[in-house]
Amino acid sequence: MKDDAGVGSIRAIPEIARVTLRQLLGRRRTLLLVLLAALPVLLALAFRVAGETAIQPFTRRVFDTISITILLPLVAILFGSGAFGAEIDDGTIVYLLAKPLSRWAVVAGKALSAMAVAILLTAASTALAGFIDLVPAGNDGVLATEAQVLAMVVGSVCYVSLFLALSLFTRRALVIGVGYMLVWEGALSIILPGIANLSIRQYALGAASAIYRLPVQEARLSADTAFVLSGVLVVATLAIATWKLMRIELPGDTD
Amino acid sequence: MTAPLVPEANGPMRPVQPLAAPPAPPAVELVHAARWYGNVVAVNDVSFTLGAGVTGLLGPNGAGKTTLLHMLAGFLAPSAGTVRVLGRTPHRDPSVYRQIGLVPEREAVYPFLTGLEYVRFNARLQGLPDADGLARAAIVRVGLDDAIDRPIGTYSKGMRQRVKVAGSLVHDPQVLLLDEPFNGMDPRQRIAMMDLLSGLAEAGRTILFSSHILEEVERVGTEILVMVAGRLAASGDYRAIRALMTDRPHTITVRSSDDRRLATALMADPAVFAVELTDAGLSVQTAQLGAFRRLIAGVSRSVGVRLVEVVSADESLESVFDYLVRR
Repeated sequence: MKDDAGVGSIRAIPEIARVTLRQLLGRRRTLLLVLLAALPVLLALAFRVAGETAIQPFTRRVFDTISITILLPLVAILFGSGAFGAEIDDGTIVYLLAKPLSRWAVVAGKALSAMAVAILLTAASTALAGFIDLVPAGNDGVLATEAQVLAMVVGSVCYVSLFLALSLFTRRALVIGVGYMLVWEGALSIILPGIANLSIRQYALGAASAIYRLPVQEARLSADTAFVLSGVLVVATLAIATWKLMRIELPGDTD
Repeated sequence: MTAPLVPEANGPMRPVQPLAAPPAPPAVELVHAARWYGNVVAVNDVSFTLGAGVTGLLGPNGAGKTTLLHMLAGFLAPSAGTVRVLGRTPHRDPSVYRQIGLVPEREAVYPFLTGLEYVRFNARLQGLPDADGLARAAIVRVGLDDAIDRPIGTYSKGMRQRVKVAGSLVHDPQVLLLDEPFNGMDPRQRIAMMDLLSGLAEAGRTILFSSHILEEVERVGTEILVMVAGRLAASGDYRAIRALMTDRPHTITVRSSDDRRLATALMADPAVFAVELTDAGLSVQTAQLGAFRRLIAGVSRSVGVRLVEVVSADESLESVFDYLVRR
């Protein structure tokens, strides 16, 4: 590809990210995600009122059943697949593509904004819930909270990258994402432990173990492995997204 | 009548507008360009070149106009043949967008941005130094200064078209491609937009806009390309093509307070060559639609017949283009 659009492309990243941010936050489904993100916080409050502030029951009941199993993938898949998906659906992608910008810059702007909102929602929810319920349990509680937040950050980055790339190949990225979340990570990875290497949830849990060994259903990957695999996943999927965006074809609506 | 049309399908390739200076590549050049989707051929063996000026790309819906514009804009690779803009192949070459402006057909523009924010966004992505100043100037050019700080979500259809145009010309492109830019504009906005395009053409820009309405082409496009079913059916001066379209045989149905008396009066005029009394009213055949429209009002008044309805039976665009292709 002939491309003399280098420096300008870097400056365009925050512009694209800013517009994408407003796009993602302005959608109605974002409000539903905020409500979902509030659930762990409300549960943490309930546990606190009931006087149950031990790490184990909280982590099992709230973090493991809701935050990392439902909230994280749902939020990150929605934002990841929506970053390009919404613009491809309504045709506004044309305004981004008809610019003298390297395609990696467009991908970067989209990915950064989707990651930012996904991290904001999931990490804030987890941190707040942890602050309410775990921090009173002492130093271990602080570490457990930090580990959970790290899991959210790593998970958000990975899910967003994967489903952002997928949304450039199919309009059904969201459906595939939910299927992946329920079937692959939900059912298969429990039956077949080998799948851990291909499970973003395991990457997130593995990364968290760098800070604290959370008492959840076993984290099967070491922290190092989890970080390496996460990095490979993010770089590879965003590179594929850039490659695909260079070749994307936009036929007209009517013709 | 002299033949105003250049046959394109099998005839020699003829530039729509010959260029004065041969060394510079033509602004827009298609050589046997084709594009198909699976078994469906959207654009079929189209060749033409364009230099500075406004050219209207005319054709019914589904004729391949958008596909052609998207090939020029680099959003579609030709399945066969070559497409060049300013001597370059636009597909997979983003840097070409410094010199191309595109107004897509789809109406959607980021509804949460104000007009100024949207045009400034375009200017910044173009890497322009004074993005804000240029954005404001572009908005003034399309006459949206009153709505500059309003969210685009509150804009009317015509205003949205104009803000899209402002966004696409903020970097002063050499080639401006517009897909159905007059859709949703009222007549006044349309005239203003046509004047804007004419002004750009006079400044040496190449402008290609598509339309399925002949009247839209009238004011700006001195040259037009007519596409039908993926092929370039005709190209040439709009007046000649316009005359062909209006002077073809027309059938018009007229209902009045006294069809029989009106029929007698109409037959006396040379513009009318057949009148038939039917259950639905008078079926009148004329070769000159424009002349007939002027005629009917006067004739009915002079014989004291009140007109109830005048309907052109074969005015659909498809039939007009069909007629053009058959010639």
